[in-house]
Amino acid sequence: MNGATLHRVHLPRGATPSVSANAEVRPEQVLAVRRRPGQPVRVRVTEAFHRPPGQVAALLLARPGQLVEEGAPLARDPQGHELAAPVTGLLLGVSASDGTALIAPLGAEEPVIGHVHGRVRAVEQNAIVLEVPGVVLHGVGGTGEAVHGELTVAVHTPEEELRAGAIDVSATGKIVVGGSRASAETLTRARAMGVSGIVLGGVLDKELRDFEAIQRRRREIGGMTGSFGVLLLEGFGKVGVDPQRFAWLRSHAGRTASLFGAEGLLFVHEASPPPTRRALPRIGERVVAHRRPFQGRAGVLVAELEDLHATPSGIPARMGLVRFEDGRLAPVPMANLDATLVAARG
Amino acid sequence: MTDERPAADAPAPEAEPSTERPAELERPLAAAEMTLLVDAGSAWTKAALVARTRGRWRLVAHDAQPTAWGEEALRGTLAARIAPVADRRVADRLRQLLGAAPRISCHTPRRAGRLALAAVSVELSGASARRAAESAGWTVEVAATADDGRSLVERLALLQEVDVDAWLLAGGFEAGRADQALEIAGLVAAARGGSGAPVIWAGASSLADEVTLMFEPDAVGVVPNARPSASEEDPLPLRHALEGLLQRVIEPAGTRQHTPVAFRRSVAQLARTTGRRIVGVDIGAHYLTWVRSDEEGAAESRVFAAGGLAAARQASGGPGRLARWMPMAIDELAVADVLQNLNARPATLPQTEDELAIVHAAVRQQLAVALEADGVAGTELDGIDLLIGAGRSLAAAPRPAQAAQMLVDGVRPLGVTQLALDAAGVLPPLGALDDAEIAEGMGVLRDDLLVPLGTSVVCRGGRAGQLLMRIEIHRTGWPAIGPLELRSGQLQVVSLPRGHDAELEIELHNGASLGGPRRTRRVTASAMGGVVGLVLDARGVPLGLPRRTDDRRAVLASWRDTFGREAAVPALDAAMAGVR
Repeated sequence: MNGATLHRVHLPRGATPSVSANAEVRPEQVLAVRRRPGQPVRVRVTEAFHRPPGQVAALLLARPGQLVEEGAPLARDPQGHELAAPVTGLLLGVSASDGTALIAPLGAEEPVIGHVHGRVRAVEQNAIVLEVPGVVLHGVGGTGEAVHGELTVAVHTPEEELRAGAIDVSATGKIVVGGSRASAETLTRARAMGVSGIVLGGVLDKELRDFEAIQRRRREIGGMTGSFGVLLLEGFGKVGVDPQRFAWLRSHAGRTASLFGAEGLLFVHEASPPPTRRALPRIGERVVAHRRPFQGRAGVLVAELEDLHATPSGIPARMGLVRFEDGRLAPVPMANLDATLVAARG
Repeated sequence: MTDERPAADAPAPEAEPSTERPAELERPLAAAEMTLLVDAGSAWTKAALVARTRGRWRLVAHDAQPTAWGEEALRGTLAARIAPVADRRVADRLRQLLGAAPRISCHTPRRAGRLALAAVSVELSGASARRAAESAGWTVEVAATADDGRSLVERLALLQEVDVDAWLLAGGFEAGRADQALEIAGLVAAARGGSGAPVIWAGASSLADEVTLMFEPDAVGVVPNARPSASEEDPLPLRHALEGLLQRVIEPAGTRQHTPVAFRRSVAQLARTTGRRIVGVDIGAHYLTWVRSDEEGAAESRVFAAGGLAAARQASGGPGRLARWMPMAIDELAVADVLQNLNARPATLPQTEDELAIVHAAVRQQLAVALEADGVAGTELDGIDLLIGAGRSLAAAPRPAQAAQMLVDGVRPLGVTQLALDAAGVLPPLGALDDAEIAEGMGVLRDDLLVPLGTSVVCRGGRAGQLLMRIEIHRTGWPAIGPLELRSGQLQVVSLPRGHDAELEIELHNGASLGGPRRTRRVTASAMGGVVGLVLDARGVPLGLPRRTDDRRAVLASWRDTFGREAAVPALDAAMAGVR
């Protein structure tokens, strides 16, 4: 266990929290509910009062954004005549061109789910702050909604590409750790198979955009159910997961994980501390490189060269000498290296 | 530098240097007079060491490193840099001396202001309001307009989801009454609920009262219409209001130490001191700032919070547009991945030539996009005496010619313009000083402040292949060069070393223009030398490229080769030899 991590669940405006501070929450628990405004109803205020459209706004008894109850007075003229609201809903305003008031009836209650388990630290105006008993990995990008599920690993090595064939019904509802890349086809299939989320070392920007475009089209034509998220841990392109991280993820297969694609976060519950990263590595430390041609490769920093030296691109930089895991020795700008540190046990 | 104390209100981005002097420094040892100028960016921290040497204050070392490395590492690097030349009485205490040295610092704002924009039209009121907001340091998180193709419910849902610091409403011309503007304001009132975030109305003034009534008292600030008519735009009052609001909402403690503000103050002071019209552009990982100052020091600036390199992926046209500007065959997919990685890890360096070419193309694009977005076409940037480039990508270009090319290609300064680079990153920290001290600091550092790149002569007009300029270059004590003939589309770089001045006699032909109100055929101008020289540019404003891929790459490669003339940095192989 690595103590607790704080996580903020954003509440859209108009949402009503259904938990209070110190409450214990589960991943699937409803933290708040909201009612989305629906197709607005037009109320002909002009006709009711025989007034020109330009004078209607002054007669309204509510401001835009206020909730009006069915049957409650919506407008009143100086003579005391009243017009009742025909439905309960949010007053959106009044059209000065035709004098109609727009009331958007509120739809059915929709849940706001936290996708993590833990304890409510605070309930704020636009967020619920949770203490999550687990650890969090920060990715460099991602897409999709917040999801949770059991962590599972679908590739044998961190450099392996996640193929569509590796996704089957056993992955339904799970968060699948892939390798260095997944095509738009693989991601689409995973979503169709009911996979909750995919964790990758890298993905081609084009593949991710294609996948997002497919999802957008499917959402527009309707029929898309469930949530799905993708998290990138290392970078864009074909980039393997750092072997240390991969080993840690593999050792936590079976635990509950929560993936926040758009925010680039992966919570693993009840987990041991993951390998951490630190800028400016020291000689002898294990490092991972972040830019081409060594992007995603791990090794050991064996020396730091004195003075500035030109990179192959010509930029003078502090350079480190890295013995990569494939045995190759290569100079890499220190700015492109992170030390990867395994947390001390106990 | 006479300021021996740290700027009192200069916030430290990381660890504040200790105010207690180390015990050994209290001993009567040789005094070390030095000041550290620090610009802590969101990705890179730039530091310059100014010290008294042989009776004069000089810039003795500078360095840039990822901000995440921390200050101790920065001090270590600077100490190592000056150790070989430092007075040996203080050589072993350089780190401590640097730690105790007075420090003048500035930093990138912690975060940008987030804005929701609602307007009547995407193209008119919406575009004007967006441009004003984005050049005032805000990011537009969401925009809803009456003609955006969404249903009313979708628009409402969109506005309800977003988490913002302020709301900006625009719409309606001054001459008529726009009911749609009232409807969109009502929509915002409904979506905003009781969030309490301030609202700015920058639409038709006749609707201001009605809009104000839709919100709680004091929620709405009214500014003059940013789009008074279809053909007229007046973004200045809105931009100033948004700049003020940004300070109140995001940084109530003040913004003088913010790099974009400090950069503007420095450029203004430099213009005042030198009596020259100056444009400065500072491109960082996230922010892009451009400042224009007249010779009196009256400066206008634009701060694009999402205008830096990290945002290059989101620019209009995306990676495809950028790939068109590569002189070598790099496919769009690779460009997209590099831009995304730049966004994900802005404090890393392009290690391969291809990646560097992509980064440089991104700098050119972001400069051009920022000027376009603000409605400042290259043609309006005439009459500028000095163009200053700042920011890590420009300063760290392996060859000064690459920095010069990024500036000239991105900004397209029409006319005769001196080019310079803030290579040490000293302008922003100096701008964080008090008004009087900025001038003093610049006076002290006059010889080291900027790296002169040379002078550009950019013209527009004419048709392909036509003769546009005939230039004769006169230098005292040297034979005249030329006349050099430049035809439309041609670029030529003539050596004019640093410290050398030249008189240019320029004859314009076939409708070519160097800007300015008069269409003069003969122009005489002064040119200052620099590490690149004299850039004679008849490629037009804006730059155009051939349609065919091979032709385009050939043209881009020829421009690159024309600019690049210096020796490269010492190769790595020699240093590696011993290690192997």
